[in-house]
Amino acid sequence: MTSMETTTKTADQILEQLRDYVAYTLTSAKGLYREPHSYGAMRMVDSMERALHLLQEAGIKDEALELALSAVRKERWRAMTDPQGFGRAIDDSVLGLVVLSINK
Amino acid sequence: MKVIDAVKSRRSTRSFEQRTLPPEMIQEIENAILHSPSGSNAQESHFVIVQDEQQLRLIKRFAPGLSGDPAAVVVLCSNATESLIRGGIDTAEVLRFVNLGIAAAYILLIAHSNDIGNCPVRSFHRESIKKVLGLPEEIEPELLISLGYADMPPRSKTSKKVLEVISYDQYGNNH
Ligand SMILES: Cc1cc2nc3c(=O)[nH]c(=O)nc-3n(C[C@H](O)[C@H](O)[C@H](O)COP(=O)(O)O)c2cc1C
Repeated sequence: MTSMETTTKTADQILEQLRDYVAYTLTSAKGLYREPHSYGAMRMVDSMERALHLLQEAGIKDEALELALSAVRKERWRAMTDPQGFGRAIDDSVLGLVVLSINK
Repeated sequence: MKVIDAVKSRRSTRSFEQRTLPPEMIQEIENAILHSPSGSNAQESHFVIVQDEQQLRLIKRFAPGLSGDPAAVVVLCSNATESLIRGGIDTAEVLRFVNLGIAAAYILLIAHSNDIGNCPVRSFHRESIKKVLGLPEEIEPELLISLGYADMPPRSKTSKKVLEVISYDQYGNNH
């Protein structure tokens, strides 16, 4: 899910990916009831990344979001072993997004 | 690779190359399963080895904890009914999970000692996985193990201090 290149996919392929996305998000919602709390943040970030990826594949780019996500991507592996470190990475991304939003 | 080296160097893999596994590797996994011990030799567990692309896609859909695109997923299942018949109450209540845990360790180590990346995964929707695999009512998926060629080197691991985890001769004795 880290690929940056824009590939042109058929509507059917995108629809199939959308199905993956919907099932992933819904199943993640169910997981919140029993799994460690820190997983919730990770699943939401993953789910947003999947949505961004879908947008890219549909030919739409949101570079502001891409940029804001980069800190989270780099520190994603911390989600399970160092949730606070992951939290800080999300902070950095949100702050990046604020700066980008203000400068727009 | 010596077992101890496999134990020390194995790490969970969450990103895989797009490469299928050779049939010998699947045979090794079968060996790991068949040679794994079980309480009173009940052998009540069931394992589904999934390599079909469409099945893998469906599993991934309902397994948020499964990262990357593995070449195969082993689904480790318990069987409460057979546990009771073959092993008794203790097996039905507890040992069937212990047995699966041991089988999981065997699979992870066999995979790693053959340079196959792996990750145990418990974050999945049980009923959905059950439906995808067509599991009978009494067979429950308990753990997934993803398998494939890792596409990046493993990160180092932080372990607790030995004193926090292990005592000698009596609880709390640390030497
Ligand atoms: C029973 C069990 C369930 C696990 N479930 C998940 C999971 O759903 N998703 C995941 O990415 N890792 C999962 N893991 C992997 C652990 O996060 C990993 O083993 C742990 O962080 C230690 O890292 P290591 O395996 O690299 O030594 C699971 C591990 C075990 C033993």
